[in-house]
Amino acid sequence: MRFPGLAAPALAIDSLSIPADSRVALTGASGSGKSTLISILTGLERVGQGRILWGDVDICTLSEGGRDRWRGANIGLVLQNFHLFPGLSAFENVLLPARLSGAMARDIRARAQDLLLRVGLARPTQMIETMSRGEMQRVAIARALLRRPGVVIADEPTASLDSDAGDAVGDLLIELSRESGCTLVVATHDPALTRRLDRRIRLVAGRIVEDGVIGERAA
Amino acid sequence: MIGFILADLRRLWAGSLVVVLLVALATALGVAVTLQERALRLGSARAADKFDLVIGAPGSETQLVLSSIFLQPSPLPLMDGTVLPRLLADPRVASAAPVGFGDSFGGYAVVGTSSGLVRDLEALAEGRVFAVAGEAVVGAAVDLPIDYAVKPTHGLAELGGHAHTELSYRIVGRLKPTGTAWDRAILVPMQAVWALHGMEAEHDEADAHHDHTHDEHASGGEAAHQPIEADAALDEDWSKVTPGLPAILVKPKSIADAYKLRQDYRDNATLAVFPGEVLTNLYATLGDAKKVLVGVTTGAQVLVAAAILLVTVLHVGQRRRQIGALRAFGAPRRAVFVIVWSELFALTASGVLLGFSLGFGAAKFIAGYLSAESGVAMPVMFAAGDGFLVSVILAFAAVLAVLPAMLAYRQPPAAALRS
Repeated sequence: MRFPGLAAPALAIDSLSIPADSRVALTGASGSGKSTLISILTGLERVGQGRILWGDVDICTLSEGGRDRWRGANIGLVLQNFHLFPGLSAFENVLLPARLSGAMARDIRARAQDLLLRVGLARPTQMIETMSRGEMQRVAIARALLRRPGVVIADEPTASLDSDAGDAVGDLLIELSRESGCTLVVATHDPALTRRLDRRIRLVAGRIVEDGVIGERAA
Repeated sequence: MIGFILADLRRLWAGSLVVVLLVALATALGVAVTLQERALRLGSARAADKFDLVIGAPGSETQLVLSSIFLQPSPLPLMDGTVLPRLLADPRVASAAPVGFGDSFGGYAVVGTSSGLVRDLEALAEGRVFAVAGEAVVGAAVDLPIDYAVKPTHGLAELGGHAHTELSYRIVGRLKPTGTAWDRAILVPMQAVWALHGMEAEHDEADAHHDHTHDEHASGGEAAHQPIEADAALDEDWSKVTPGLPAILVKPKSIADAYKLRQDYRDNATLAVFPGEVLTNLYATLGDAKKVLVGVTTGAQVLVAAAILLVTVLHVGQRRRQIGALRAFGAPRRAVFVIVWSELFALTASGVLLGFSLGFGAAKFIAGYLSAESGVAMPVMFAAGDGFLVSVILAFAAVLAVLPAMLAYRQPPAAALRS
């Protein structure tokens, strides 16, 4: 993966396989290629060379609209700055992507309510701008899980939270991904959060320099 | 999606309000100019409608119409006293009435005329038509009560005219509204106007010839200040020579007669005009002025459109990350396009609609003011073509909104991840 104007590739990965129902930490310094890798894994950007296989499908061969649809159905995203939309309630924020994609299944409102309760928010009608940052990230987690994605990808989910709220958000991500059996990929600088995941991939200058099971490394 | 759009507009309410107001004011400007020009044209055309043919002394056609139909105070040259008897004897003439101007009272024109014209003009709302020299009938917009004594001023009081002390008119009747300048006129017997200005037939004949082009203001100045008999019976037999007259309103028997009369009375001694025709010429001139105004307002509207386009393009740029996030969460590009397009279109469309009401209100206000000043009713109304204009403007707004929507559509979704 290269960007115009840069001599060295932003990302050069020979092979990386993430099995379903695994929990992976993606670490590395800023600029090491974590965000680029996430963009590629989520189909937000295409690779210059190589393939990204989702089962048997190379998502790089999908059209832009096709990747939007695929991402909406299979990927739950949790971002550092939440990207919640002010002026809407927590409930409406959880539903918004499904609404915009025309994916309003019959039971989806009930699921949104359940998820908000599950992440510990008892007032779904609360306006988003009146919430604390920790609460906002919990709304974002509920939103990511709404359409039962196969993979939840979180980009620095705890970086803008204090440590208590960060811990709570980390707990929720891990618990909820276990409960629903979905794969969790977390790009993070947070060592506490990294330790609680099963596998750690460390990137330096766009290359994987470490990939191992966390338990093994500690032993 | 509508919920999101509304929430978005609510969040950006200050900017949205400015955009709506900008569009509204630009639209209102154009609408007010169009409506006002139309009101002026329709109003004056209707005001002239009641008067078929006007005959005056040779001079400016426009001045003749402005003075006799719109009662603009200005001196008109006088016609020879033989014209009215000739007209009355003409078989093509249904009726002919003399009109004499020059006096005023409290800002209202005092117009000398025949009792027949008063009856032709409009039905009476109250009272009766004048029967003696010292009586008057007022137009609907004259704010004076029945029985009020009107002491006419020569010329306009504010221009230093002097009061006629020889005669005061008693108001005996009031006309229903005609929507013309005559609503603000005090109609008195022609005979009394002649008498006030020392122009009665018997001593007029002598100086009528060398007084030919003399206007009434001047002859008024020469008036003999003798008291005039207010109870003198009306003598409306004008079959013999009369004193000089500034204008005669003629009702021809048929349209063909009207054209023949106009032709026959355009010579060295008289000038016959159709007020409608004179107004048409006047509008041709006004039309150029309207073009300039329309050009200026269109320029203002283009500027506003450009400013709004600039603001929205910048705005879309600022929302790169929000738009990217929508895409990152799986919203299709189509949805992003629709959101940006609908937000901008909703704002401009409400601006246009608000602008139409503002422009209508402004035109109403101006027309009301002008009507009160002139007595000419100015109908402010939308025409069928205006619906087309609205569609054109809305279509333009719709096209304009496509550009920022396209920018948003082409925004790479990965922007959401970069902080």
